[in-house]
Amino acid sequence: MARPKSVSSAPISGDLADKTLVLDNGAHTIKAGLAVGHAENEPSLHDCHVIPNVIARSQRDKRTYIGPEYSECLDFGELAYKRPVEKGFIVNWEGEKAIWERSFFDKNAAVLQCVPEETNLILTEAPNSPTALQRHADEMVFEEFGFAGYYRTIAPTLNAYAPSPFPSTSISAPGIPVECLLVVDAGHSHTTITPLYQGRPFQAAIRRLEVGGKTLTNQMKELISRTFDVHREDHIVGEIKEDVCFVSQDFNRDLEKVWKGGRYDPREIDASVVVDYVLPDYETIKRGFARPHDPKANLRNIMLGIGTEGGRREHVLTIGNERFVVPELLFRPSDIGMQQDGICGTILQAINALPEVLRQAYLANIVVVGGTSKLPGFVERLEAGLRGMVDVDLVVRVARAGDLVKNVWLGGARMAQNEELVKSLLGILHKARYIET
Amino acid sequence: MATGPLRFRTPHIDELPATQSRQAPGFAWVAVSGAQNDPSKSWGTTNRKRARASVGGQTDQQREALSARQQREVERRIRDLNSDNSKDVVIELPRKPGTASAVKAGKTTNTKKILASGKNFAHYLDDEEAEIARTGRREGEGEALPQPQRASKTPLARRKTREDSSMSISPAPSSNSMGPPPLPRGVNGSAGASMQDDNAEEDDDYSFGMPSEADIEALLSLPPLTYSQARAAPPPPTVPPRRRFCETCGYWGRVKCMKCGTMTCSVACKDVHDLDRCLKMYA
Repeated sequence: MARPKSVSSAPISGDLADKTLVLDNGAHTIKAGLAVGHAENEPSLHDCHVIPNVIARSQRDKRTYIGPEYSECLDFGELAYKRPVEKGFIVNWEGEKAIWERSFFDKNAAVLQCVPEETNLILTEAPNSPTALQRHADEMVFEEFGFAGYYRTIAPTLNAYAPSPFPSTSISAPGIPVECLLVVDAGHSHTTITPLYQGRPFQAAIRRLEVGGKTLTNQMKELISRTFDVHREDHIVGEIKEDVCFVSQDFNRDLEKVWKGGRYDPREIDASVVVDYVLPDYETIKRGFARPHDPKANLRNIMLGIGTEGGRREHVLTIGNERFVVPELLFRPSDIGMQQDGICGTILQAINALPEVLRQAYLANIVVVGGTSKLPGFVERLEAGLRGMVDVDLVVRVARAGDLVKNVWLGGARMAQNEELVKSLLGILHKARYIET
Repeated sequence: MATGPLRFRTPHIDELPATQSRQAPGFAWVAVSGAQNDPSKSWGTTNRKRARASVGGQTDQQREALSARQQREVERRIRDLNSDNSKDVVIELPRKPGTASAVKAGKTTNTKKILASGKNFAHYLDDEEAEIARTGRREGEGEALPQPQRASKTPLARRKTREDSSMSISPAPSSNSMGPPPLPRGVNGSAGASMQDDNAEEDDDYSFGMPSEADIEALLSLPPLTYSQARAAPPPPTVPPRRRFCETCGYWGRVKCMKCGTMTCSVACKDVHDLDRCLKMYA
């Protein structure tokens, strides 16, 4: 849709494949599922499969895990990663092809069976893509895979077709976009702000904050490594982040609560924040878990298996202020010296790039999606932050999408049910037309 | 001190005329300007180490170099935080049993090229910026933008290889020459200021309702910004300065290490830092 080259609004005649593969190709996971054109029932989230978009090499069992095989991995220690999607764009097509083939196209595909020649494809990309990468995507989809029809769009637009998370708004019929929506997509590589009108983006107002889930995981890695070296444990640190991190509503108070005190004035550490995290060893403990902090525990004995449950050996990390200092990066990127405004400021930058009349409409229709927004307290802090930055008589409304990860896919699947729309959109890039041009 | 005739370290004393001081018998209080400017204090008794540490470099050039080094350090760190793939590890894709090893993957010449390309995202970004700098427009875009002008004022020869860092100041979309044509109504770069300005008129504007369909259509059909133009702008200068945290425990950083400049919160944490974290042997 970013290529005006072959736009002609005449819909293609009749022969449209009636299955559509909706592929939300994220940097961390692929969200994929088939939508059937004229089905009576609504697409359900059960049809959406989440596939790790990664190629991982284990030094321990010398195996390479590609895409869906990643879940077969038994030992996530010291994996080396290669992600075909960088910053939300498919850069390494060799790797991406291997993952897609194992997921969809092979005889014994792990996730779902799909014959490209009889299927349409709705593929998402991150906003503001370099054009060379868009061209590569188009060429690969038609020349290598040979899909019947193809529509490439920036991922946040599809959220307009998902059911509105605001309770006052009635749920629109599938294929009808919500009128005004400001999508905050807190993803793996970055956080994007996209204002949508009838499902179309205001391209000039899209803004990107370069803090995402990956940044938080890496920062967590740095902070934990002050006491225990986890530099090579991406997977475990990611799990720790998902398990214990939260967004603080009052940063100064929380930081004060967990200070250990000076040398001569030791303080009581607030046990509501500090936790012990038991690391997995992939023998008896398959996945790490958090438990309340025990200040008297002798970590050395625990490591040797003395006084633990069943006598198992445990590596325990004590996690205190890291729990909320790390997600704080989203709101204050200047903490690591990044010259960008926080997420609230970035939203206002995007809104201020719109005409004045429209600003209130977008301020009152902010929808949060993306895996990073799963952090507890994220939406509340975002709303409070915005409230404090805008005038009192403006309405600020922030809502969390129904399923933060699959919302884009759900929107795409609902869009695919509207046959008229699909016909007109796929008309833009149809295989026959592609070959002509 | 090494050159010149031998000097005795006996200060020469004379009575300075001072306007502010009350006349007292024998001596007068005068305002002393400071160690650097007072020649009577710099007779080999200055602590050069302390003087350097207090201002972060003796000369302007040194100070600039120091801050540039810190800046580079911060940029490198942000790049590390935003990096995804494991370093120094080459992961070979296992070949499928059916395919011969000599044949390149890909069905057409185009896809063969794409599949074999070893470029990463920074390369594509550089390519596009170079393309814009050369032709004034992006690949695939119809006509040249109004003013074909380089995106950056830095001469091409001196430009560093851009490694997608967020340190480079993001262009405010309205001020940048490469940006899209300015939006019809008030587009301001800074968030705080413009919000306040607009609010006065907000109610009046509201009575006019939505802008016309044609206006919105024009906005919707603007071309997308380039990757670096869409980056969030730095916060307005009114926000509080960067917060510093203790390197050892993560509490507020309240003490700065004289040698290396990292922050610690208390004596206990400073001791830990001095024992095995301070990497600078000589300041």
